[in-house]
Amino acid sequence: MNRRQLLAGFAGAAGTAGGLWIAMNGLSSDGALPVRIETIDAPGSPAGEMRVPTPGEVTVIDLFATWCAPCETQMDRLTAVHREFGDRVRFVSVTNERLGETLTRDDLREWWQQHDGNWSLGLDPESQLMGALNAGGIPFHAVATPDGAITWTERGLTSEDTLRTAIQRAIDHE
Amino acid sequence: MGFAGCLGGGNPNTVLGEPDREFDSEDVPYPAWGEQVPAVTVPDPIAGESVSTRDVDDISLYTFFFSHCKTVCPVLIGTLRNIQTQAANDGYADSVLFLPMTFDPARDDGARLEEYAGEMNVSLDLGNWTFLRPETEARARTVIGETFGIRFEKDPMEDAEGYMFIHAAVILLVNEDGYVERAYRGQSPDQTAIIDDLAAVR
Repeated sequence: MNRRQLLAGFAGAAGTAGGLWIAMNGLSSDGALPVRIETIDAPGSPAGEMRVPTPGEVTVIDLFATWCAPCETQMDRLTAVHREFGDRVRFVSVTNERLGETLTRDDLREWWQQHDGNWSLGLDPESQLMGALNAGGIPFHAVATPDGAITWTERGLTSEDTLRTAIQRAIDHE
Repeated sequence: MGFAGCLGGGNPNTVLGEPDREFDSEDVPYPAWGEQVPAVTVPDPIAGESVSTRDVDDISLYTFFFSHCKTVCPVLIGTLRNIQTQAANDGYADSVLFLPMTFDPARDDGARLEEYAGEMNVSLDLGNWTFLRPETEARARTVIGETFGIRFEKDPMEDAEGYMFIHAAVILLVNEDGYVERAYRGQSPDQTAIIDDLAAVR
C-alpha cells in the first residue's frame, strides 16, 4: 500500500460513473467462436445445446443478466425485432449468471416469461461467450453472418432501429 | 524486490505466487499480494454484530460498493454472488466468506442491504455473506478511503437518488491468515480467475 497515491491518479475511477452496466467478466479471453452453450427449457427455447453464433444462420446475440435493469427494457425492443425477423434469423439471449439456490432454472424461466422472451435462452456460467465477444458491458448485442463472422456489436441499450439495420446488413451479406 | 524469496517469487504468508504485474504491492494504495489485511472493526448491520478484519479466520473476498450504484457495483456484487453460488454448488460454501463493504451508510442500512441481497440473488442464508457498514460517512472515509486505500468521491448528482460515489473497483482475496493473495482491480473482474485462485488457496 502506498498512502501517497491515495489522492493521486483518481481519473482512472471516473469511468465507473458512466451509464453502462459493465460486464461481469474479463476482457482478456479471446476464445474462438462459436461457443457451445447450454440452452434451457423456456418459451421459444428447447433444452439442449447450441453453438453461438449458429453456423449457417444469421444470429442475433443478446448478453444479459436478471439483475440488470436496462436488460429488461432491452427485452421489449428485442421482442419487437424478433417479431419481424424471427422467422429467418436465429435469436439467442445468454446470461453468465451461475444457477443455484438464489437463482434457479425456474427463476430464470420466470424472468424470461415475465419479459416475453420467445427465442433461445442460454447459459454461459464460465463467461466463455462473453469473453469471446469481448463484451465490456451488458446489455451487449452482436450480430453474426451465416459464416460466423461478427458484423456488428454494441454495448448498452440498443434501439430497435439499430438492431434492424444490423440484422438487415447481415442478411444482405449472404 | 519482485524476485525476493526463492524460485517462483514466493511469499511465506501467501499460497499464491506473485502475480504477473508491472508494479510491487507497496506501490498501490490498496492492500495487494503478500500484504496483511488492514485492521479495522466494522458493523454488520444485518446481524447487529461487528467484524474485526484481523479476527476473520476464513478465506475472504472483500469488495467496496454502495447499493444505489448502477454501474460497476452490480458487477462487483454480481461477481461475488456468482462465486457464492459456485461455492454452494461445489460444496465449499463454508470455506469462504464474502465481505462487501458500503461507502454509503446513510442509505445502506440493514433493511436496504437485505433488500439489495434479494435484488442481486445473493444468499444470506448460507451464512457466508456479511455486508459491512461503517457507522457514518466520515467513518467510511477513514476505513475504506484511508485504511483500505480504496479511493472514492461523493458525486452530488441531481437525480432521483440524490448522489452517487465515484470509486475504484477492487476485489480482494484474503487468506485464512489475513494476507492478501490477490487484489483484482478493474471494472470487469474475471470470475473464473478468482474461482481458480480460490481453489488454489483453499
